[in-house]
Amino acid sequence: MEKRMEAKEIEGLRLSLVIFFSNKTAVVGLMIFMAYVIDALLMQFAPSMLGVNNPNALAFDYSNTIPQPPSPEHILGTTYFGVDLLQAIMQAIRIDLGYSGLIVISGALIGALFGIISAYAGGWFDEILMRITDIFFGIPYLVLALGVGFALGRTIESMIIALIIVWWPLYERYTRSLTLSIKEQTFIEAAKASGVSDLKIMIKHIFPNTLPPVLVQISLDLGVVMAIFATLTFIGFLPTGNLPELGYLTSLGLNYIQIAPWATIFPGLAITIFALAVNLMGDGLRDVIDPRRRSS
Amino acid sequence: MKLWAYILRRILILIPTLIGLTLMVFVIIHLQGNNLLLAQYLNPRLTGPAKQQQLEALTERFHLNDPVYIQYFYWLQQIITGDWGYTNTPIYSGSVTTAISLFLPNTIIIAVFASIIIWLLSIPLGVSSAVNRDSIRDHLIRVSSFTLYAMPIYLIAIALIILLGVYFHVLPFSGPVNPLLVSNLDWYKNGISYPTHILLIDALIHGNLTVAWDAFLHVIMPSVTLALGIMAGIIRILRASMLEVLEQDYIRLARAKGVPEKIVINLHARRNALLPVATSFGYTVAGLLGGAVVIETVFNYPGIGYWTTQALLVNDVGGIMSSTLLFGLILVFTTLILDILYALIDPRIRY
Repeated sequence: MEKRMEAKEIEGLRLSLVIFFSNKTAVVGLMIFMAYVIDALLMQFAPSMLGVNNPNALAFDYSNTIPQPPSPEHILGTTYFGVDLLQAIMQAIRIDLGYSGLIVISGALIGALFGIISAYAGGWFDEILMRITDIFFGIPYLVLALGVGFALGRTIESMIIALIIVWWPLYERYTRSLTLSIKEQTFIEAAKASGVSDLKIMIKHIFPNTLPPVLVQISLDLGVVMAIFATLTFIGFLPTGNLPELGYLTSLGLNYIQIAPWATIFPGLAITIFALAVNLMGDGLRDVIDPRRRSS
Repeated sequence: MKLWAYILRRILILIPTLIGLTLMVFVIIHLQGNNLLLAQYLNPRLTGPAKQQQLEALTERFHLNDPVYIQYFYWLQQIITGDWGYTNTPIYSGSVTTAISLFLPNTIIIAVFASIIIWLLSIPLGVSSAVNRDSIRDHLIRVSSFTLYAMPIYLIAIALIILLGVYFHVLPFSGPVNPLLVSNLDWYKNGISYPTHILLIDALIHGNLTVAWDAFLHVIMPSVTLALGIMAGIIRILRASMLEVLEQDYIRLARAKGVPEKIVINLHARRNALLPVATSFGYTVAGLLGGAVVIETVFNYPGIGYWTTQALLVNDVGGIMSSTLLFGLILVFTTLILDILYALIDPRIRY
């Protein structure tokens, strides 16, 4: 019996992979995403391989601070303070990707926890959580992030906490609606009838079933969160002047936009390409988990 | 559910939301401690014992020695009576209520222009994308709306600045007006225009068409950027819902009856496809407000958003408090009005 289950699961996995890889744009998205991840991992564990001494700081070159156009020496040119753009962008990807991943995953975990309990328990607990999330949706997310960041002090840690606070209500609502539909299915009723405890039902039966759509949502949200993260540093949220971060790099080049457009274009492209790639990848993944979309 | 019961329930829900909203703003401004809070009232010239004395007087006046939960009610009373404190930022220092009356009109004008552009462009683009499915036009619309959707809004602004401002020199991209034009006007002083504080309208009132035209040119780039950032999402929703509606039986019936294709699309299909767009209008308002913060900062346009970021950079409590509260109130009340309107339009929403 168990062996047949395993064979069925392997078959299902194979089918999913076939569906995903038959979608060419999704595969391109996946490849770009993997390139960003590899870059981030290399920066984290072996920065010297990419010619970087300290991945947490930009390498300023005070001998020539004016942005220089792309040349064999600096493939993407340089930006203000003589920073080599290619190297700076590769450093920035680690920071941006790492922190946006951290934000989305923590937001999703907190949201899933409350969402599942809220939908499963129902009643007044559900109602209170709905009202609480209403409050969070009542303020435009960027303004809320600015406010929370202001309250906690303008550091990178408080920026991350602010964005998690902005992000968890979205996942609370999403997992809540997922749980509501799973809750009505017969296997949950069967589990209840055979005396499985509520806690066990939530952990062993509902949570695994909400996981695939939530993972797809995480992959779609990575690009959005990276964009907000970059937006906050772009408008000067962080007072420090030396953080390899794509939004900050863009703002460095902004004063030279008339003579050195590449200094704003390349960091901007790095974010846009990433956001496009995760969107394409997420669309492909959504096709895999949602059979109704497949046929069209 | 009866309509009045639905509206009553919806208004009752508003009460906890408003309490939560004010509570959140209260926590945000009090987490930084009392000194920052009192700084907005403190005379900066005072030193030594005189400063100490004023600090104590202010602490007494704002009940800062009371327990926090009692302070909340004092603060709430202050907010309700219209005493929102003082702001001190590079672009404006003075009372918060005056600052709002100066900056809010500018944000509104950008938001209104952006909404007009969104309304004029997104509906035809979304519909024609769905009707001509998989044609070159559809692919173009999809790819560009996909890219705009993925881009952070400040990058859209920068792309427009590079393209229209730097290379083609067709549009100005900084500030509300060319300062040379308004340098010796008697109704425009220190960057404030009178009487409505909207330069475009004031210039028309005073019959100064050169200034009005220049002010209009300065509004274009911020509002187009805002529109492009928000439009992408609407086009995607509209295309999907239009495709779904076109599969419905009543559309097939209309076609089978021999109704001309133009009428099928414009009358039967489009109206029904717009419903999901209408219900997502709350998100559009949220997007307009949030996007305004970034765009006004990029274009140095003196609206509420620009003021907010300036306040953040100088740790100004008054600015942060009032913009979070103001944006929150605007959004909460727009959502309320929209929800009631949907219930009037579509009985299904009342479940």
